[in-house]
Amino acid sequence: MSAPPRVVGQSLARIDAPGKVTGSAVYAADFALPGMLYGKVFRSTEPHARLVRLDTTRAARMAGVRAVITAADAADVRYGAAVKDEPAFASDIVRYVGQPVAAVAAVTLEAAEAALALIEAAYEPLSPVLDVAAALAPGAPLVHAAWQSYTAIPILQREGNVCNRARIVVGDVERGWVEADRVFEHRFTTAMVHQGYTEPRAAVAAWDSSGQVTVWSNTQLPFDVQATLADILAIAPSKIRVIVPGVGGAFGGKLRVGVEHFAALLARASGRPVKVMTTSEEELTAAYPRQGTVIELKTGVTRDGRLTARQGRIYFDTGAFAGSGPGVASVATLVLAGPYRIPNLFIEGYAVYTNKTNCGSYRAPSGPQANFAVESQMDIIADALGIDPLELRLRNIVHEGDEGPTGQVLTAVGLEECLRRAAEAIGWRDRRPGPGRGKGLACGWWTTTGGSSGVYVKINPDGTVALNTGAVEIGTAALTGAAQVLAEALGVDLADITVVSGDTFATPFDFGAQGSRTAFAVGNACRAAAAELQRKLVAQAAAQLGAPEEALELRDKHVVGPNGRISLADLARQSQLAGGGMIAHGTFIAPGTAYDTKRVEGHVYPAFHSPSFHAHAVDLSVDGETGEVTFHKYVVAQDVGFALNPTYIEGQIEGGVAQGLGQTLSEEIVYRDGRVLNANLTDYKMPTTLDVPRVESILVAHPGRVGPFGAKGVGEPPNIEPPAAVANAIAAAVGVRITSLPITAEKIVLASRGDAR
Amino acid sequence: MSRFEYHEPESLRDAIALAARFGTEASFLAGGTDLIVQLERGRIAPRHVIGLRRVPGLTGIEVNGRVTLGARVTPRAIERAPELAGAFRCLIEGAEVIGGHQVRNVATVGGNLVNASPAADLVPGLLALAGAVTLVGPAGEREVSIEHFLLGPNRTARRPDELLTRVSLPALPTRAATAFLKAGRRRAMEIAVVGVAARLTLDASLERCLEARIALGAVAPTAVRAHQAERALEGQPVGPEAFRRAAEMAQDACRPIDDVRASAAFRRHLVGVLVRRALDRCVTRARSAA
Amino acid sequence: MAKIALTLEINRERHEVLVEPDRTLLDVLRTDLGLTGTKTNCLDAECGVCTVLVDGEAVNACLYLAVVAQGRAITTIEGLAPAGALHPLQQAFVELGAVQCGYCIPGMILSAKAYLDEHPRPSEAQVREALAGNLCRCTGYQKIVDAVLAAAERLAAPVGAS
Repeated sequence: MSAPPRVVGQSLARIDAPGKVTGSAVYAADFALPGMLYGKVFRSTEPHARLVRLDTTRAARMAGVRAVITAADAADVRYGAAVKDEPAFASDIVRYVGQPVAAVAAVTLEAAEAALALIEAAYEPLSPVLDVAAALAPGAPLVHAAWQSYTAIPILQREGNVCNRARIVVGDVERGWVEADRVFEHRFTTAMVHQGYTEPRAAVAAWDSSGQVTVWSNTQLPFDVQATLADILAIAPSKIRVIVPGVGGAFGGKLRVGVEHFAALLARASGRPVKVMTTSEEELTAAYPRQGTVIELKTGVTRDGRLTARQGRIYFDTGAFAGSGPGVASVATLVLAGPYRIPNLFIEGYAVYTNKTNCGSYRAPSGPQANFAVESQMDIIADALGIDPLELRLRNIVHEGDEGPTGQVLTAVGLEECLRRAAEAIGWRDRRPGPGRGKGLACGWWTTTGGSSGVYVKINPDGTVALNTGAVEIGTAALTGAAQVLAEALGVDLADITVVSGDTFATPFDFGAQGSRTAFAVGNACRAAAAELQRKLVAQAAAQLGAPEEALELRDKHVVGPNGRISLADLARQSQLAGGGMIAHGTFIAPGTAYDTKRVEGHVYPAFHSPSFHAHAVDLSVDGETGEVTFHKYVVAQDVGFALNPTYIEGQIEGGVAQGLGQTLSEEIVYRDGRVLNANLTDYKMPTTLDVPRVESILVAHPGRVGPFGAKGVGEPPNIEPPAAVANAIAAAVGVRITSLPITAEKIVLASRGDAR
Repeated sequence: MSRFEYHEPESLRDAIALAARFGTEASFLAGGTDLIVQLERGRIAPRHVIGLRRVPGLTGIEVNGRVTLGARVTPRAIERAPELAGAFRCLIEGAEVIGGHQVRNVATVGGNLVNASPAADLVPGLLALAGAVTLVGPAGEREVSIEHFLLGPNRTARRPDELLTRVSLPALPTRAATAFLKAGRRRAMEIAVVGVAARLTLDASLERCLEARIALGAVAPTAVRAHQAERALEGQPVGPEAFRRAAEMAQDACRPIDDVRASAAFRRHLVGVLVRRALDRCVTRARSAA
Repeated sequence: MAKIALTLEINRERHEVLVEPDRTLLDVLRTDLGLTGTKTNCLDAECGVCTVLVDGEAVNACLYLAVVAQGRAITTIEGLAPAGALHPLQQAFVELGAVQCGYCIPGMILSAKAYLDEHPRPSEAQVREALAGNLCRCTGYQKIVDAVLAAAERLAAPVGAS
């Protein structure tokens, strides 16, 4: 790139905005077909029980009902991302309140709901495993008696109620304790929380006469859903087409099948298209929320604040099926090590079965939980040693060329700059500006998930460009960012590009909208496609322009040379007439990140690719009598590598902080005896406009080697640091240290009064 | 197949006649923000719904010393009524924290009272203001104090054939001021964890309390008065010591429960804090109005 | 009960529908009239994605019976501006990056419109309070608030001013 970027780096309006502000954009929840039936799922009312009787006769006979299905109507297979332990319907054992047992399709939603009430099920209760401690106790009932027979990723360390134990070992922590002047041990807990997307999970399925099924869904991973449906429906994946019309927020909760299989099974059984959509209650009892955790953290430090060793255990209450638990337990070990130089590590992440809803992935899975522990403890250590918390971090953070916890070499490390700039913006020198008021810091690091992305890029005869991608736009504007990369490379404007996305039949494979990877990977695939198009365009134009190919470049929607120029439109028209058109295939697969394999065990995520670094700083007051928290200022400094579109990156930061503050102060799915007490939005309390501060975003840029223009993943990180930053600020403000999330007003007041709770 | 038959009477008499005819199988529909929710959740299943929007005389706000609120007066209308922004302020403060604008545009004071949630936001203020409801049935009209109207969670003294038509509040004494405070886990869209309304009347010197009314919401099966705290304040000089004692007595007057929103202990603690703050606010308002 | 014939005025157009009295306005809009710009989620008046305007006031359509909507002027997001031209609110949301997944946006814009029609020069605090009944999970509200304030300025500017 000789000239400064023209399109990338600009805060251009996202390309799908007009449809969204006029109400014409269609989401999966809006999608409908003529003659469509409505499906509802019949769910277990027991946390752990033998299903001894299931009678659907009365439901099947009800007027308006066109299909009733149970386990007998699905293939006898189990699916799951890491451990294949989950059936479409329970057949002999139910393992959580809300587990699907049957489903009905009827001509109206009301009829389907009425039909559910006519299904008769009888359960013989078994001993439920209610939390991690119960699951790990000697002699605990097994959530999965047949766990050994399940297919699973081979390296997982599974045993009984543990569906994975991931481990990092570096050096010798025993030596580290000896070298330390002080050793700190703390326990932290975090609650189960829901992604809170405003659009329910929804799918419409329709079979054609040749035995092919099309499923319109708001999934983040259409190709993964396609593969899972193939197992459940017992047909070839090529007979399944998954299309994503539009997604109303996801944050990881819409990765795996949620309703697609019910829609497809009911449509097959009834011979009509079927729509299935979740209710708020189903979202809060039978979705893929963030695991609650228990964290034990032990850290050794010298008196001048040098970290010598860390031993950590993080237990994920991953619910009745493994879901994302095994992977999340792996990622957690890198978060628990932190972006710090620590020579001795013994860190374990456990994914543990219980009789609750199976948990999944939620924006930076394991991030907020593990970071809450690490960064809270850093402040406790700083306080005990009489060292400023910023200074303690600066003495220990990683820098360019340092090793990460699994031995990867870290490059483009913007952490110091993030910490310093966040601290300056919050006015760190004055940490306690007044009574009841304090400032807190937290920092961390995160990954840009790999996986492959393919695109087709076609130049139309009018000079516009079609970008065909298997990726899914879930709201981050990642596809606008990728289109900006494409426009930059082709010498066109963003307005010239239209995007077609998310169709397993018509678009190339994409690993999916997960792990902050979409702009990164699709952007790079676009660069590859653009390079191929450039070769073709230049080859075609050279003779016409009387110039050698090396002298030609793409600029202003033309191929430009010393003797003249030809428009891309003309070249595309020529190509279309002469044979096939101006089209290229671009692919990108993230390179692996080298690490020391001897350091890890049971680990499915042993390195952070193109890592990002970030620091949050908050200034708040606490009403000592009511425990209410009032924000004065919130600052985020995030190393984004290169800001492809600053406005939408700010949007990710502002939204991620708000979502993170919800997890910090007010959100929790409350279980008692295996049942959710607050399965509605009245009592699952997400932040409103009045609950969140303005966020000042500082975009730091230490360009990485892999991402387009050096960009790194940006979507997940802002969700990571809010709990610790706020906990640290509250401690500074009122001298109260809360070690469990959410940090409610009640906990603050009761801790201030010295009441144990 | 509709779950209910819908009626839209055009007069009060017709509305009462329908209620008399269908009795417990009928519900009145005012704003619907409680009724439709409970219907959708399967908690109630009326066979008949009597819509009130054509019945005249239910939407007025009259202020001439006394205050009369028609049963269908919305929280938004209360918020917008300039006559209530003075000494009757606690009404506005209760109205403006109900849900969001969408709910406040449609919900009604009558519905809020008849639904009788222990945490209803308007109720503590109406109690502190010595309000009474007018119930109209086939036998005629009767007035019931709000205290006697609220019997328990979702239970009131309204007979199935009666319609609550208005809420009446007596004129306020001079040098009286009111305040309402609410505590919750977030700053909007909250069911109160604790609600406190206070009405304080000062003497001519503005130093002594002549009369006090303190109402507590969300800490008992219905909103309740803290009678002992009120009596302890009357005749006393206003100030931190008197208010601290009153707050402690108010804590004894409440019977909060543990639930998913808060523990009983925390609710009791908040009663103490909010009573003190509400009384402080009343003093400030009474003095600045004088 | 048999279905009731209703005439609903939506976006200044009259629609004749035949519906059971227990149907909500939200359901009739989306299912019977194909107007899916008004969104569905909690059905509990807790999230605001179903916000429509009834006689200019913001209302949760999920709790509003269709039969009660008769005789009122209903505005949905589809009716905010004539085809091809964006309302200043819509324009501001596009320009200021206030749209992410977009699912909360129709309700958010209508709540904002109802408020600006009554309070043309709001402060940030007032805008936040006006939108407290509309949950957004993507944006953290900041650019939404900024867009409403920007739209307010444009709407309040005299005609012909740039």
